[in-house]
Amino acid sequence: MGCGGLIVLRMSANSGPDDQFLYAERAGCPWYAGIPCRPALGSDETCRYNPHNWYKLTTYLPAAHPHRQYIGDVALATAKRKKAKPTTKKKQQPAKKKSARNAQSKSKSESNGAATNGAVRPKRRTTAKAMAASQRDISVSEFFSKNRHLLGFDNPRKALLTTVKEAVDNSLDACEEAGILPEIWVHVQQTGNNRYKVGIQDNGPGILKKQIPLIFGKLLYGSKFHRLRQSRGQQGIGISAAGMYGVQTTGKPVKIISKVSPRKPAHYYEIQIDTKKNQPRILNGRGEGVDIPPGEKGARAIDKHGIEWVDAPHGTRVTIELEAKFVRGRGSVDEYLQQTAIANPHITLHYVDPDDYEYAYGRSAEKLPPEPKEIKPHPYGVELGRLATMVEDAEAMTLSEFFRTKFSRVTPAVAKRICQTAGVSTRSNTRKVGRREADLLYQAIQKTKISAPATDCICPIGEDLILKGLHEVVPGEFYTAAMRPPAVYRGNPFQIEVGLAYGGTAPTQNVTRELLLELLEETDARTVRQFLIYTFNGLGPDAADKIIKAAGLGTRQTPGKMKPKEVDKFFTAMKNVNIADGQSMEVMRYANRVPLQFQQAACAVTQTVTGTNWRSYGLSQSRGSLPRGPVSLMVHIASVWVPFTSESKEAIANYPEIQKEIRLGLQAVGRKLGMYLRRRLKVKQQSDRREIFMRYLKEVATAVSDINGVKQSELYEQLIKVAKRRTAEADMKLDDRGRRINEKPEELNLGDNVLIVDPTQHKAAINRVEIEEEADEQ
Amino acid sequence: MAKRRTVKTARKAAVKLSPRDKKTMARLNGLADRVVSSAKARRDPYVDIPSRTLSNIRYSPRKRIIEMGPSKNRRQLFDLSQAKAYMRTLLVASGCKTLLDQGKSTSLRGLFYMLKRTIEDTKENTFDVQNECDTIIEDVEVLLESIREELHLYAENRGAMVGNITLTDRGDPINCARMGSGGYAIPSIVEPEVVELERKKCDAKFILHVEKGTVWQRFNEDKFWEKHNCILTHGAGQPPRGVRRLLFRMHNELKLPVYCVLDNDPWGYYIYSVLKQGSINLAFESQRMAIPDAKYLGLRSIDFDRCELADSVKIALNDNDKKRAKQIANYPWFEKKPKWQREIKKMISNDFKLEVESLISKDISYVTEVYVPERLEARDWLD
Repeated sequence: MGCGGLIVLRMSANSGPDDQFLYAERAGCPWYAGIPCRPALGSDETCRYNPHNWYKLTTYLPAAHPHRQYIGDVALATAKRKKAKPTTKKKQQPAKKKSARNAQSKSKSESNGAATNGAVRPKRRTTAKAMAASQRDISVSEFFSKNRHLLGFDNPRKALLTTVKEAVDNSLDACEEAGILPEIWVHVQQTGNNRYKVGIQDNGPGILKKQIPLIFGKLLYGSKFHRLRQSRGQQGIGISAAGMYGVQTTGKPVKIISKVSPRKPAHYYEIQIDTKKNQPRILNGRGEGVDIPPGEKGARAIDKHGIEWVDAPHGTRVTIELEAKFVRGRGSVDEYLQQTAIANPHITLHYVDPDDYEYAYGRSAEKLPPEPKEIKPHPYGVELGRLATMVEDAEAMTLSEFFRTKFSRVTPAVAKRICQTAGVSTRSNTRKVGRREADLLYQAIQKTKISAPATDCICPIGEDLILKGLHEVVPGEFYTAAMRPPAVYRGNPFQIEVGLAYGGTAPTQNVTRELLLELLEETDARTVRQFLIYTFNGLGPDAADKIIKAAGLGTRQTPGKMKPKEVDKFFTAMKNVNIADGQSMEVMRYANRVPLQFQQAACAVTQTVTGTNWRSYGLSQSRGSLPRGPVSLMVHIASVWVPFTSESKEAIANYPEIQKEIRLGLQAVGRKLGMYLRRRLKVKQQSDRREIFMRYLKEVATAVSDINGVKQSELYEQLIKVAKRRTAEADMKLDDRGRRINEKPEELNLGDNVLIVDPTQHKAAINRVEIEEEADEQ
Repeated sequence: MAKRRTVKTARKAAVKLSPRDKKTMARLNGLADRVVSSAKARRDPYVDIPSRTLSNIRYSPRKRIIEMGPSKNRRQLFDLSQAKAYMRTLLVASGCKTLLDQGKSTSLRGLFYMLKRTIEDTKENTFDVQNECDTIIEDVEVLLESIREELHLYAENRGAMVGNITLTDRGDPINCARMGSGGYAIPSIVEPEVVELERKKCDAKFILHVEKGTVWQRFNEDKFWEKHNCILTHGAGQPPRGVRRLLFRMHNELKLPVYCVLDNDPWGYYIYSVLKQGSINLAFESQRMAIPDAKYLGLRSIDFDRCELADSVKIALNDNDKKRAKQIANYPWFEKKPKWQREIKKMISNDFKLEVESLISKDISYVTEVYVPERLEARDWLD
């Protein structure tokens, strides 16, 4: 027996069949390490680690291993509840009996290893028959409702984000597939303590009546799973899981309203997911849903039902109420929507947050991205198991034909080479290919040189659109983008795009006094802090606090009631506080246009960014960390199959091919940033220079006149003239705080895909609030 | 320490300038005039300052001293990194002009305070610390080819002297044989206008220069100078210009040979090198200060064995010492002297250094009664 250590199984004192607590303690048992053994297990509490796997454990545990007893106890307890037979309670004596146990371990009849006093013959805890009673099917929904962390519902904060994300991703996929320019409404509303109602509406094609319950009320139901094509969603779990989470945490059904055409009635459903059966349960209209007629009548019906619906000719709206937590900043809904708007410049996004602030991300491109093509798998990207299944599933044909029709980039010649290497005839029928041949073929594929897969199946965002997207959303003064040609990793084509925005000064520093007064007038923020955060994009709470502290104002001061003196102080503080101090680069990661918000450190993108030397591009960076400065970077990987590190789709795996492409992309944007920054620095130096010279000229003139009695003022004038001539370049720029060069892009040739704007004129920088009558009434 | 003597701001009286001062004044005026003329011509004003670095000095084997090379550093007003230095250069020049006008002299620190002020409309000072001022003064010295004394500047007194000599310091006769335990403090300016030497008033036969005040005390207490009829000086480490200039003058005007007793370490070698050939930083003053005939009496690296010293007096060489020793061995004025090469090599192979005080471990007066007399007797020194 491998168990040299000491193992004690104990039961708690009041152990009835229903509350047996078992403990396994051990020292040096080699079996222990690999087994998911919970320290305590009540019989009414099913083990979180796949209860149906118990019997599997028993099969690979050695016969006399004490864990078997542990497992047996659980099964027995279940069986006994049915038979009501008293349990044998045993307490194992430690060390003392070790040798005896080892001796007995060979005997199968004593395999439970609990022989203690020798007098009592141990009984089996359970039998295969009894165990079979507790072995049953597990529904997908049951599994995921217990393992909701797998789908991104680990905590209330993430649950909110995941819900919004799944719904928005689905909406975008639907719109793009139908060829409609997407317009999305996102509405997050607080309904109670830790409860939020999330409504997402799109202008998509709508969903057929009979499909609605299935799409929203059944896990693993969808159209995207069985194809190899670039899309956002993949499995068909997301939105129904969000609905399930909502039902579980609040008990409120998922509400769906969908309209296919302006003339046809809209369908309204209230759905709960039946976790046991993985089936939708329709609550309204006696299990049939409700149809809302089009036109005026329909509008009245919508009002009556209290359904939220932004009037649109077609589209779908889903409303989920769930337990959640609304936050701002990293990993928030705000951030997700902002980043989505950057990577999808062809969408319009309306977002109302729980504080009733409306954000609108306008469309900057009027064209849909081209439709991605579906491709056949490349031989290099197929694993042995998949190959075997493909052979099995294929209709009868020759091997050569099989390779040619089922894979991309396989010509008859290549197919022949594969078969030759494998030692299998090209003409042999797929029906005759067994496991052994499949293995040989698989090995042969790896050895054969096959050209890289076609890359036209990938739809990158495009440099123009990245520029537009970034410009629309991220305040800054310099934008650039670079797209790499498609490349291949493990037989999968992919493409990397990089965009970079550099914002020299914070929006707060670009405000004039008049504009500030106007902004203060029109805001309905309750406190100054709120006013700063909502009005100026990219200004976090920390920065707002800094400004307020510098101005010497109270945090809870109402912006509308500030005295002129306070406004002055506030204004100077806004101008002088350096918000960018210690700010490091913001990295936005995308996979197939979907922002990735978590596990930043584990992602290939972040690792490549930190591994790149940004110092040569004019940014400061300490070793192994992100560069510093007001820089936003977006990296997009488009692929038919994005390699994520885990199922939660939060980080991209580290393939050297991918890292190389990312690095080349980063270097391309870095070079342009470097050119721009150096140019800016030069102008700044010129003006600094002028200042320094001016500072010393008077001293020099005085000293000279002291020595030889020359007229001091005269000499000073002359020296100033020389200084002005010497710093003429700075003089030219100085008119506009040293930033005039922006107007002369021909002077600074940075090549294509660069956008330089005047940060003071940037409309994304400052959120103007439109005062609406209705808003006032509330 | 006459450091904080304040310069009176009273209206400058018409002081009669000495011929030497007139020469200095003309040079100062020339400097200012060049600024005016280039400003008139709309050109960048600049000054060319002979560079005071190792690369710009050369050893003259004939004169056996270090001389300054021809290379110069241009200092421009309209250069970002030099503007402030340029301004300071002219400030120091104007300060010297004021001193000359009033016929007064001041310490380096005094000049620093004279010129230290806040630049108009800024929070910047003309000078922040004295070091900044001192290097500019050296620049002005080489720029105008006028030594510090001619600019009416002096440094803190350092170094002392006793011995059978009587000199006149600003008219006061000083008998250096009657200076008690403190000795005559060698002033910073020992030009003939201040210190007068007379052949007749000197009985001493040679000069013994020691490194530090403590060793000098030992020699003075034992009345070494009386027994051997000599002059005893020390320079408190690296000898200041006053001490070097006085040694030079006594050596040349009174024809007294100079012997040095210094520590056996790279620092001691370098002190000897400075006395003998001049320093790199003040290469322009070598011909007024260097004493090519100065002899190195000790301590030698063989003295540990020769004097049978105990292990406890050894001081281990650190990496810096070894590096410095190799540098010194490569100086052109040591390069071709096999005895010196052996000496330095021996010290490195010893891997320890010796201080003069280590001889006290033998006997308190070993150095004055045995070591130095023996060396002198045997004419055993390095040249």
